[in-house]
Amino acid sequence: MLSMSRRKVGGWFNRSLPFWLILPTILVLLVTQVYPGIYTIWLSLQARQPTGWTFVGGNNYKRLFDMGQFGESVGHTVVFLVGFVVVTLVVGFLFALLLNRKLYFSGLYITLLYIPWVIADIIAGLVWRLLVVPDYGLLSGITQNPLFFPPNGLSILTAVPPRPWLGAFPFPPAPAMIYLIMASAWRALPFITLLLLAAMQTVPSEIVESSRIDGARGWQVVRFILLPLMLPTLVVALFSLTLSGMNGVGMIFSLTNGGPGTSTEVLSYLLYSIGWTQREFGRAAALAMLIAVVNWLLILGTLRVSRVEERGA
Amino acid sequence: MHQFLIMRRHWERWLLNALLILICMVVLLPVATTLLISFKREEDVVRKPPVLFPCDTPTRAFDPTACRWSLEGYERVLAPKPTGGWPLGFVLTGNMFRVYIPNTLLYATTSSLLVVTLAGMAGYAFSRYRFRGHRLLMSSILAITGVPLLTNLLALYQMGVDLRKAQLPFYDDRLLIIIVYVGFYLPLSVWVAKGFFDAIPRDLEEAAFIDGCSPLDALGRIIIPLAAPGLMSIFLLTFVNVWNEFIAGYLLIAKNEFKPAMFGLYDFLSQNIINFQVIAAACVLIALPTVVLFLFTRRLFFQAMVEGAVKG
Repeated sequence: MLSMSRRKVGGWFNRSLPFWLILPTILVLLVTQVYPGIYTIWLSLQARQPTGWTFVGGNNYKRLFDMGQFGESVGHTVVFLVGFVVVTLVVGFLFALLLNRKLYFSGLYITLLYIPWVIADIIAGLVWRLLVVPDYGLLSGITQNPLFFPPNGLSILTAVPPRPWLGAFPFPPAPAMIYLIMASAWRALPFITLLLLAAMQTVPSEIVESSRIDGARGWQVVRFILLPLMLPTLVVALFSLTLSGMNGVGMIFSLTNGGPGTSTEVLSYLLYSIGWTQREFGRAAALAMLIAVVNWLLILGTLRVSRVEERGA
Repeated sequence: MHQFLIMRRHWERWLLNALLILICMVVLLPVATTLLISFKREEDVVRKPPVLFPCDTPTRAFDPTACRWSLEGYERVLAPKPTGGWPLGFVLTGNMFRVYIPNTLLYATTSSLLVVTLAGMAGYAFSRYRFRGHRLLMSSILAITGVPLLTNLLALYQMGVDLRKAQLPFYDDRLLIIIVYVGFYLPLSVWVAKGFFDAIPRDLEEAAFIDGCSPLDALGRIIIPLAAPGLMSIFLLTFVNVWNEFIAGYLLIAKNEFKPAMFGLYDFLSQNIINFQVIAAACVLIALPTVVLFLFTRRLFFQAMVEGAVKG
């Protein structure tokens, strides 16, 4: 509208101003996001030979699926994601419920609870590792108690995983996996709490009040008023947690390194270990493509939900 | 009855506060433990059973006058060497402060400045103009917002290898990593910036145009000053994100002298795995700048986060 009325005034430069303003952003995104994306597709169809790259078609994918490590890692990823997403959403929702009252110190609580988000994932991993160092860690009294975890004398991060109930699927998870889930949830909680709190505050208080007058008690208000009204935000939170859980790798580096054995080796860590430890870029690119497909499904889902929300509002 | 309700609300409020204080303490326990370990002596770090405060004496469990605090961990990280000269009488010889933290500071500052500039320009254009492809471009940028760095790393690594082979005179890995960080944190920032510009009334510019301002003048004299807090919050968010990023800095930079602080910490971990007070001190030193920055500017942080979160 504005540009229409101004069109006569400016010269050629001013008329094409939006183009020049957006151009640098587009160039940077082409170089850092679009081109590498296409490059990865190409890499996933190649294998490195002494003479250079040669085309091998779907062979990388086939070899990836044939690896025992891959199937195992999918299992670990599913366990990790379910645990991480459920713990973070439930605890985040409870925190948001508590913070959704007008308290004198609300701002202080939110600030304090937000600190874990500002701490880098690799530092967060170390911080949690220091808690369970064998014998000397603050929590080692609990984590080395043979009542809770099968004893092998050292630490929760080296305790042997229990026998899986369902064949190869790694459930119940290894103690190290449970610990990784807790540490990851700890770091993701602030953002999710704030997101849910913001959504909770947009629920009109008249609706909550009138439902109370109609006789709804505590949890009924949550179940029948808050949850349905916050559903789009909850779905967005779910997708964004799955996305970050699927692609986060820093904490694994400093907390477990994929171990003990392979019990915390999720797909993101497997990508690193195939690509940079085994130096198999073709196969790693095939895995990257699979992760990218999941990422894109999650992103499109998020876009769809937020669009529905916008139209509804 | 009324009296009773007020009493009940009072009681509830008190309970809620107590609960929230407890939650804050539990949530911050890991951080507090690390902070305490970083100030302990080696013999207090390796104690069975572990103690939270190194303040016990043979006769008393806690005696605040007998605390054995020490800076041993920090000394090992910083490795100060006395020079007797200007300006402090010593120099820090530890790699962490000589190499890695300056690198991180360079990457975080440069990429945040670039992100703010580019996001400000693009956000303004998206907010104020309608042009062909407007919707398509915006949706593409919104879609890219969610794309994580991980899956692009292999290709970016290969690009880095090719660029190094080409031996361009102006190129080193610092250029690559800065562009990667800019490209990675730009999409969200464009959206946040657009949101901030949308909140500035158009009448202000209309008035400026009538007074004879060109669009670029209006941007520089009216819009940018009004949008400054928003742009500042984008700067801070990007700064903290780049400061905290590990995997790209670790993999995409070949030379150790260009690697960032998070790599320094990882490297440090492999050398000092048994000296917990040293590791804790390194953690505290690297996390401190971002935590302090956050505590002083939290309002701006939350602004950008909420603006970004609403967009997904």
